[in-house]
Amino acid sequence: MIKNMLKPIDRSVSGKISNESYLNRVMFIVLIVLFGTASLTIDNYFSTGTALNLIANNWYIVILGIGVTYLLVSGHLDMSVGGIVAMAGVLSAYFCQPSNEGFTELGQGLGMPYGWAVLLTLACCLVIGALNALFIAKMRVASIIVTLGTMSIARGIAQVAALGAQRSAGLPNIFGVIGSVPLFGPIKIAAAVAAVLVVIALFVEKKTSFGRKTYLIGANREAARLSGVKVERHIALLYLLSSLLAGITGILLASEMKAGISSRGSGFEFSALVVTLLGGASIDGGVGSVLGMVIGAMILGVVSSAAYGLLLRPEWQFILKAIVTFLAIIAQRYLLDRRSR
Amino acid sequence: MEANVLQIKGLVKDFPGVRAVNEVSFEVKRNAVHCLVGENGAGKSTLIKILTGACERTCGEIFLNGTEFCAKNPKDAREKGISTLFQELNVVDQLTVEENLTLGLEDAFCGFLRKTDKVKKIIAVLKDLEPSINPKERVSRLSVAKKQIIEIAKAVAAETDIIIMDEPTAALSESEINRLFTIIKRLREKGVTVIYISHRLDEIFTLGDYVTVMRDGKHVATKPINEVKDRSELVQLMIGKTVIESYVPKETQSDQLLLELKNVCNHKLRNISLSVNRGEIVGFYGLIGAGKTELARAIYGADAYSGDIILHGKTLGKTPEKAISAGIALVPEERRTQGLFTLLTIKHNISAMNLKKISKFGLLNSMQERNTAKSYISQLNIKTDSMDKETSKLSGGNQQKVVFSKCLFANADLLILDEPTRGIDVGAKAEIYAIVRDLVSKGKTIMFFSSELPEILNSCDRIFLLYEGEIKAELRNGNDIDSQNIIHIVTGGTAS
Repeated sequence: MIKNMLKPIDRSVSGKISNESYLNRVMFIVLIVLFGTASLTIDNYFSTGTALNLIANNWYIVILGIGVTYLLVSGHLDMSVGGIVAMAGVLSAYFCQPSNEGFTELGQGLGMPYGWAVLLTLACCLVIGALNALFIAKMRVASIIVTLGTMSIARGIAQVAALGAQRSAGLPNIFGVIGSVPLFGPIKIAAAVAAVLVVIALFVEKKTSFGRKTYLIGANREAARLSGVKVERHIALLYLLSSLLAGITGILLASEMKAGISSRGSGFEFSALVVTLLGGASIDGGVGSVLGMVIGAMILGVVSSAAYGLLLRPEWQFILKAIVTFLAIIAQRYLLDRRSR
Repeated sequence: MEANVLQIKGLVKDFPGVRAVNEVSFEVKRNAVHCLVGENGAGKSTLIKILTGACERTCGEIFLNGTEFCAKNPKDAREKGISTLFQELNVVDQLTVEENLTLGLEDAFCGFLRKTDKVKKIIAVLKDLEPSINPKERVSRLSVAKKQIIEIAKAVAAETDIIIMDEPTAALSESEINRLFTIIKRLREKGVTVIYISHRLDEIFTLGDYVTVMRDGKHVATKPINEVKDRSELVQLMIGKTVIESYVPKETQSDQLLLELKNVCNHKLRNISLSVNRGEIVGFYGLIGAGKTELARAIYGADAYSGDIILHGKTLGKTPEKAISAGIALVPEERRTQGLFTLLTIKHNISAMNLKKISKFGLLNSMQERNTAKSYISQLNIKTDSMDKETSKLSGGNQQKVVFSKCLFANADLLILDEPTRGIDVGAKAEIYAIVRDLVSKGKTIMFFSSELPEILNSCDRIFLLYEGEIKAELRNGNDIDSQNIIHIVTGGTAS
């Protein structure tokens, strides 16, 4: 079935469009096919509610995916985003918990107004981003090593600040607003924030020299340097951007739950990487797109909601996701190889 | 025994987009020195790579001593009867001479290395060739020439029917060359056939018995040397109809100073001081390793240096982006790894060096980008069906034109060209020379770094000769230029 749907597209675009748009189309077809299959096999799957849930349940991976996609396009990994999500959640709670004596240790914070707490939290996230930038851009340590380290640092800070648990006591009401105000149906403001960020990211990626330089660096770092791109500065900016986006995600998620949970976001770094790769990005850099990443996130979303609908026990979801990811990436390789022949 | 030791019939090798070897057929007589000549990109190297098993042929047949020959890798080729002395030295600097010689021939007894007869023989061969080399010496301490002799010893000791030598004299001094020739003649007496590749045509007349000429991947002629009238006949065969315009001295010499170097030193360069005037084509010639690339990269700010580099009376910053904004652009030595973004399209490559010009407040104007690409594709005659094609799919010559476009779009006054014609075919080369002349007539200044003397002599007004990171001589180009003397200087001889 998938094969039949691919064929006409394959013929109509041969040699005409770039590999990137070709892959995006292919992955979009995969998404439609998966969604169609799920709709045919699961009762009541095909509904607006399902589609909206898809967005409501995946927005945070999409925000993280923006930073991770940019970095992957430039040839770098960022495994620290999950840790930063937890750190941002816990710190944002800690900063605005009341500072009065008499509370338990987990209920006592710095008593800041929420706005200041958010800004200070984002500043802390940028410090983690700056650490990544220092070691990777300036000292040229492999990005996987550095960001695995900062992943632990960020999660460690979250653990220490929440005493290994969560901070939820005594939070002001405003803390829970931005993450939980509903727009329509299951969609909340946080998802709208994600949508706005995606639109900005798509624009920056394709229409600005910042986006172009990201591709130049990923395609050939030395040629980019010899073409006058300030490579180190650019990579540093990308890491700062990624940590900022992770910080925003963490604050939104904490607001949604009205708690800063120190175990939040574990595995997010891998999810963000997987959806980016599903979207056609190359682990070697130079190739990839935010649009593809969004489609990739939707594919994974369809797979897990379908697994839920099929009454698969949740622990089986990982294996199902893995199978879909493998199939999708093998298919991408195959189609690209065939195309270049 | 057959008279022909090697027979090649209808050999073809296709690379993506290029047919590097096209229906080549010729025979090599036993017990002779058979020379193989042709310009860069004529297909010699590819042919050699097929013979040594470094790459697979597309189709065609090869017979060694009358039986079908097909090597899987250089070691396999050596066992079947063809050993090779590669252009790039394959010695391991960290090991001793003896360890290098026996590399791959080690015979172990319970994990302990043994000195077998084979090893003793190789060492004897080396003693015979060059008694001054101590087998216990670490290779990193030897000169290039001595490293090469180690490789020759290895090839000789393998006692193969054929030894291929790919430009063995490129890095040797005159006395070393003479010694190599004696060795080759002795090999011939022993019944070994030598296939000898060189750009230096004089060597072919002194040494060769037969010569095969290749051009654009095709076989042009195979003749006994004594049937070749002279050097110019050979050159004619090599370059065919494409006659490269020869140098015409300019009527007016500009004396407006553009660039000045004062005592520039770094890990490779020794006290380089020179000046370049506006509108000149200045050539830099030297062998591989003479410091040409290092000098080009230092001026561009790509490598660190001490000393002063002054453009338009102002000291240059030491990064590429500062060099670009001061009006310098570099066509780097390695096209694929330093010049081109092979994953990206032609239009994205052309704009890469001057994104500011196609953008406002960081926003790209794609219309302007397309128009730019379109104009350079037609100006430089880049052969492609679309500007949205990835540059990895272009041929070498067209890729180089994309790199040129990129540098031209950077709007530089001074263009630094580092081996701009390496690995591209003769036709594209002639186009590159034409582009260079055209640029100069439009007021640009060119610094032309090359290890091919003919192109330096054809294009440049002034020539600097480099040896071991130093400028050994400065010459003004003209009819009286003595290429013999140039070779003498760049191989380490003293300037006369």
